[in-house]
Amino acid sequence: MKKWLGTIFCMMLLIGILAACGPDETKSTKNDSDKDGEKASEEMPEKPEKLTLWVNAEEKQEKAVKQITNKYTEKTGIDVEMVPINMLDQVEKLNVEGPAGNGPDIIFQPHDRIGDLVLRGLVAPVSLGDKKSEYTDTALQAVQYDGDYWGYPAVIETYAMYYNKSLVDEAPKTMEDLMAIAERDTKPAEDKFGFLMEAANFYFVYPFFSGNGAYVFSNEDGKYDISDIGLANEGAIEGGKLVKSWFENGYVPQDLTPDIMNGLFKEGKVSTVINGPWMVREYGDALGDDLATAPLPLLENGDNPKPFVGVKSYMLSYYSENPEWAEDLMAFITNKENSMTYYDIAGELPARNDSLKDPVIADDPIYSAFAEQTKHGVPMPSVPAMQQVWDPINDALSFISKGEPVEPVLKEAVKIIGNQIEASGATTK
Amino acid sequence: MTQDRRKQKTGLGRPRNIATLLSIIFPGLGQFYNRRIFKGILLLIIAVSFLITTWHYIDIGLWGLFTLGTIPREHHSIQLLIQGLISLIILGFGIAIYFFNIKDARHDAIHREEDKKKPSFLRGVINFYDRGFPYFMILPGLMMLLFVVVLPLLFMVSLAFTNYNQYNSPPRKLLDWVGMDNFQALLNVGIWQDTFLSVFTWTIVWTVVATTLQIALGLFLALLVNDKRIKFKRALRTVLILPWAVPAFVSILIFSALFNPTFGAINRDILSQFNVMIPWLSDPFWAKTALIMIQTWLGFPFVFALFTGVLQSVPADMYEAADVDGGTRFQKLRFITLPHVLFATAPLLIMQYAGNFNNFNIIYLFNEGNPAVRGQNAGGTDILISWVYKLTFETNNYNMAAAITIIMGLIISIFAFFQFRKTASFKEEGRY
Repeated sequence: MKKWLGTIFCMMLLIGILAACGPDETKSTKNDSDKDGEKASEEMPEKPEKLTLWVNAEEKQEKAVKQITNKYTEKTGIDVEMVPINMLDQVEKLNVEGPAGNGPDIIFQPHDRIGDLVLRGLVAPVSLGDKKSEYTDTALQAVQYDGDYWGYPAVIETYAMYYNKSLVDEAPKTMEDLMAIAERDTKPAEDKFGFLMEAANFYFVYPFFSGNGAYVFSNEDGKYDISDIGLANEGAIEGGKLVKSWFENGYVPQDLTPDIMNGLFKEGKVSTVINGPWMVREYGDALGDDLATAPLPLLENGDNPKPFVGVKSYMLSYYSENPEWAEDLMAFITNKENSMTYYDIAGELPARNDSLKDPVIADDPIYSAFAEQTKHGVPMPSVPAMQQVWDPINDALSFISKGEPVEPVLKEAVKIIGNQIEASGATTK
Repeated sequence: MTQDRRKQKTGLGRPRNIATLLSIIFPGLGQFYNRRIFKGILLLIIAVSFLITTWHYIDIGLWGLFTLGTIPREHHSIQLLIQGLISLIILGFGIAIYFFNIKDARHDAIHREEDKKKPSFLRGVINFYDRGFPYFMILPGLMMLLFVVVLPLLFMVSLAFTNYNQYNSPPRKLLDWVGMDNFQALLNVGIWQDTFLSVFTWTIVWTVVATTLQIALGLFLALLVNDKRIKFKRALRTVLILPWAVPAFVSILIFSALFNPTFGAINRDILSQFNVMIPWLSDPFWAKTALIMIQTWLGFPFVFALFTGVLQSVPADMYEAADVDGGTRFQKLRFITLPHVLFATAPLLIMQYAGNFNNFNIIYLFNEGNPAVRGQNAGGTDILISWVYKLTFETNNYNMAAAITIIMGLIISIFAFFQFRKTASFKEEGRY
């Protein structure tokens, strides 16, 4: 018995000693602030041998970026190592590789992940400098978080209206026109519809809320206030009632899934749908010349609906050892000429004023509508709290689609969003 | 005589205590005292090299495990946590060697006290080979197991006691130990409490009903097809196995389309004949019903195949004997067939329950846990595992996800416990 007591005591002593020692690192060598400050030095440091860039693992995009980075290597002599990694996996990967020192200099991310990336401290702010004015205002607003810019905007995307020219002569200009088409062409028994969209998906429904004055989080000077949620205000209720009327009138079936919607549209049974530019190729293959696009129709109050705009941008890894040259490369990839190369090969709209005005895009029968629509869009909030918004608000829309009253449902959703934000650990001011 | 004299010598002066004490002070010393020089050198070398190679790593690891880092950025809590857990495992090995050393020294000293002959070196090696060889052989497997199975589990369990969520994630922030806070939140905080209870109860109902139905259907069909009077047995079996042959995720996606209330074939082509329209996807009750029906369909072929195999092996003379005794058809089923079949398959059947308890695929592919339910943050058909998925990947509540996973793990271990300890087929191998 005694022996056991003794050994246990010894072990505890041993662990205690070990645990108490710890590494001898009491002072921090670098902290957040020295990285942000004083970056505006004009002198470029010595050229690094190579820069590493994580590109979205998608054949066309890789090809486009490869072409651009080759030009960069020619121009500066800096090798660019391009690693294809799925865009959505890049954050987790950077979280592991970055601190271990194997991370890239540049990652490619949609802007709505900025908040999360900043919270985790995986990216560093960039100084867009005098190039700022070249990007569209919406894109700039999108990459802004906490007053800093966190990326070079590369691609801007939003949704617009597709219509089938064999069924509709002219694109509907106002909601009234659209509802008239819906009334005229909707014959559920024959699977024919005048107007379809994912009406229980907040991402697509947002323009009809925001056009009336709703907002997700109020935004002042590039800072979101997550304690002010505007999804149950008058504008939101107005929008909710509009959505509800589509279901009540039978324009949009309650159980519509994207697959069914796309299938019907491709079969030529639907006059108008709302969807994003990623469907251009698929729709075009099915409908050929009958496919046309238009910006979203004006709301009853005469305003443009304001859709969510997504901006994919190149961001600077916090762990990059050559931030100046990485920024130089990002600016190079997103300059006018290279943006147009990227648009040609990858088919994604650049986030630049001059590119959007370029006849190649402005006169394109399909893409011009998306380019036009981005002007009226608002960037998806990039705060991490946005992740707590999607589920409750989508649930609310699904209740609305089932005929439940709009106002209490939205109020409830806002309450749940607030609770979830709190439960996720955010400190609401 | 001599023995008696030695026994009177008590306390620290006794050789066995001296040897033990020396070994406690440093491994190998006790062996030297026992004049087992070679063994002493060996242990000394092992102990010294163990300390030299791992001291720094374990030092940092344990420190990190206790504090989870003190300087943001410099210290990555998650990495420190993993290093700490690995340190614990390595330390475990070290302590095992240490204890072996103490025990060995004491054992040898007692031998010497009792004047037993010191075994030759060769003898010692042979002894070790006889007794230690099996352990030596499973050592690589054990190591693998520790790092591949135990370490991730420990990591997950640890996360449940931290405050790791979206707003508090490394490398920018440090994690902290928060004790049982997460489990308390699960029971006390409004949104967790309501949701947890309704998800948990549905998970249980789902597990029991869906699995029992699939077993019952499989058993029924197996008995039917195995009857002597049935013809075309082979063709029938092939047909009944078919649902198993199609990858489940394909079938589930197709079912999801079939059950669509407006566009799906079930409402549109079948039920509409009777003027019935069932809201399969938008009403929680009907969505649950649909899920249970699909799982029954997907799950019965395995059970069917299992039972068919076992039924072939039931000796025919038992039935003949029953016929002689005038047993009825039901009695034959009750006292011959069922015991045979169920004893042989019980572990696999229990695992069917465990499998459905965590059947993420069907829930997520069918309708992602929808339809929504007012006032809770999980969908109407979400089971625990799909809810955890949503918590982790959609709302980044890593700590809560880990806490719920622990609860699920405990429940699954109960299944596993019953499988190994309580079923006849493992306890009494060769009973049939």
